Amino acid sequence: MKKSHPIRRVLLASAATVSGIVLLLSLKPATDSTSASAQGAAAQGAAAAQESPQGGAAAAGTSTVTGAVAQTQYGVVQVRLTVANGKITKAEAIQAPKGGTSDQKTALSVPKLNQEVVATQSADITSVTGATYTSGGYKQSLQSAIDKMKAAGANTASPSQSSAAGSGQAAQAKTVTGDVVTTEYGPVQVRITVAGGKITKADAVQAPSGGTSDQKTALSIPKLNQEAVAAGNANIDSVSGASYTSGGYKKSLQSALDKAGG
Amino acid sequence: MTTTLAGGRAARRQTMRRIRPRRSPATLLLLAVWAGAVGVLWMWWHNTPSIADQNGKILNAGRITGLLAGYLMALVVLQMARVPALERRVGSDRVARWHAMSGRYTLCLVFAHVFLIMWGYALQAGKTLSDIVQQTIDSVNQLPDMGKAAIGTGLFLLIGLSSIGAVRRRLPYDLWYHVHLLTYAAVFFTFWHQITTGNDFALTPIAKTVWYGLYGSVTALVVWYRILTPIRLNMRHRMRVEAVIEETPGIVSVLIGGRKLHRMGAEAGQFFRWRFLAPGMRFSSHPYSLSAAPRPNMLRITVKAIGDHSARLRELRPGTKVWAEGPYGALTSQRRTRGKVLLVAGGVGITPMRALFETLPGAAGDITLLYRANTTQDLALWDELAKIADERGARLMYAVNSPDGERPDISAESLRRKMPDIDNHDVFMCGPPGFAQSVYEALRGAGVPARRIHHESFEM
Repeated sequence: MKKSHPIRRVLLASAATVSGIVLLLSLKPATDSTSASAQGAAAQGAAAAQESPQGGAAAAGTSTVTGAVAQTQYGVVQVRLTVANGKITKAEAIQAPKGGTSDQKTALSVPKLNQEVVATQSADITSVTGATYTSGGYKQSLQSAIDKMKAAGANTASPSQSSAAGSGQAAQAKTVTGDVVTTEYGPVQVRITVAGGKITKADAVQAPSGGTSDQKTALSIPKLNQEAVAAGNANIDSVSGASYTSGGYKKSLQSALDKAGG
Repeated sequence: MTTTLAGGRAARRQTMRRIRPRRSPATLLLLAVWAGAVGVLWMWWHNTPSIADQNGKILNAGRITGLLAGYLMALVVLQMARVPALERRVGSDRVARWHAMSGRYTLCLVFAHVFLIMWGYALQAGKTLSDIVQQTIDSVNQLPDMGKAAIGTGLFLLIGLSSIGAVRRRLPYDLWYHVHLLTYAAVFFTFWHQITTGNDFALTPIAKTVWYGLYGSVTALVVWYRILTPIRLNMRHRMRVEAVIEETPGIVSVLIGGRKLHRMGAEAGQFFRWRFLAPGMRFSSHPYSLSAAPRPNMLRITVKAIGDHSARLRELRPGTKVWAEGPYGALTSQRRTRGKVLLVAGGVGITPMRALFETLPGAAGDITLLYRANTTQDLALWDELAKIADERGARLMYAVNSPDGERPDISAESLRRKMPDIDNHDVFMCGPPGFAQSVYEALRGAGVPARRIHHESFEM
């Protein structure tokens, strides 16, 4: 029976909620205090990556790369690429959703997606209408295959290019790895290949992973890599929905450029 | 014509029970709810090492509102799951008020969450607040389960709008009720994006498990208590209308027969939600209190013809099947803490008071009923009240308007004059909101502590 005025209750609840949230937000530090140790570990990892033997797939030969298994609502998707001379010559799905209407959708979508991959040479393909989940899973698996392919390609490419530089060619190519930049979702580290003062290739040797970060990384890193090559500097646009990763990428890219310049 | 439905073995057995007040679990439940909210905030705190800039603040404010909304959403549904501990111990009226209050709050959180997250994403993409609509469309298209979430949010908007006081009063009750049932669909649609795009759930398997557990147990409770329990109750008792009796002009009693009705566990002061399977009535159920203690083969409700539904009760044919859900309500002898009890009834609020008057344990002189009506003709059930008073040695008083329409004097002074020991009574009260409010104030003025005034009000 105790009557409390409804307006007063509304005001009280709003004020309490807003001030509670503002308080919580202001109590959070602007930088991560645990980043020091993470950075150390990340630097070690990066060093290990650089020193690793160059026993990957031969750049000139034909090889196959199998992407990670991507889970979709209707089943798993896994993509295998055939790569020759650094180019994707064939794409196929070794696993795709089956059963019920999924059979139709798989039959409808997978061949189209395969063609698109060969045509675009990237994971930047359009989804097939009516098979968005399969397309999404396909893209995820494709991206991981492409990442693997690039990693293998980079490992073999750098020594050959540096030996080429030693032989006195005008276009000196070298790879420079930027600093590890810690973002809210994990460390980012960029490696660029510079030839004749231009960035010919950019990739991320470290990027946030786990949970939604996988999606965001898959979404943003390829775009950022392209942009870095296109722009030739660290003044590139952030990718929508992945601003932390983009921010970390840009910083690491800048440090790599600084090193390359000096 | 009036009925007399006094005495009976079940009623006598109830009068013999000892006074055993049971504390309402409301305080404990509220503490648990707050603890859960703190747990949710802790999860956010734990998963967020730092917030870099303004944009991060907006996004994290969006995450906090989203997490709290997701948590409260489950509780808002739980409040309407008809869990006996809530309906019979806390009281259906109080739980309904919690539901209305937390429902509004949760909807505000949902809309704040959508706005903040989309604003944050727009800023992340290097756009401004004015691009928020385009950003929302993009996010719905790109992120997993966001299409469903958008449908759910749309439903929430519809439900919220239909429940705004001014709108709700203009809508037919049945329409409002069925729109409100869409809440289940809305909760279902908005659940999935929490799991697939929520950082905290995607990153921490334990949090995901807890969330599935929370929503899973609420779903189980809803299915059990809103669907299976009523089916079992009605299969077992098979209720039908026995007779409809006009008590006074505008007030009718419906006698309901069935099997083993005393085994339903209903107590005096409680109500059922009734659905009469007659043309035009089968799609809505309405809460009406029992106006007599349950008999093995007979229940009785007494209803004033105010709305469409209650006016139609008069035309019910004997033999009409009845679907009932209950018993609900906490205005029972469990609330009692004292030997002496004053029952106050306003108009048709007599129904639960009549049942309590018959069954509350007490010696001669312990129980008093004060019955307020406009005229002596409006004193429904008066004959049987008089008979019960006579048999039990209870006091029965009425207050009606004087012939020239003047209201009777129910004030602190008049109450004290009539009952000098009124501050030593438990008071049970049922009546229209204005009446209940004025009597409450008079009782408090006469020295009755608030904790001993027991009242059920379905006013939001």
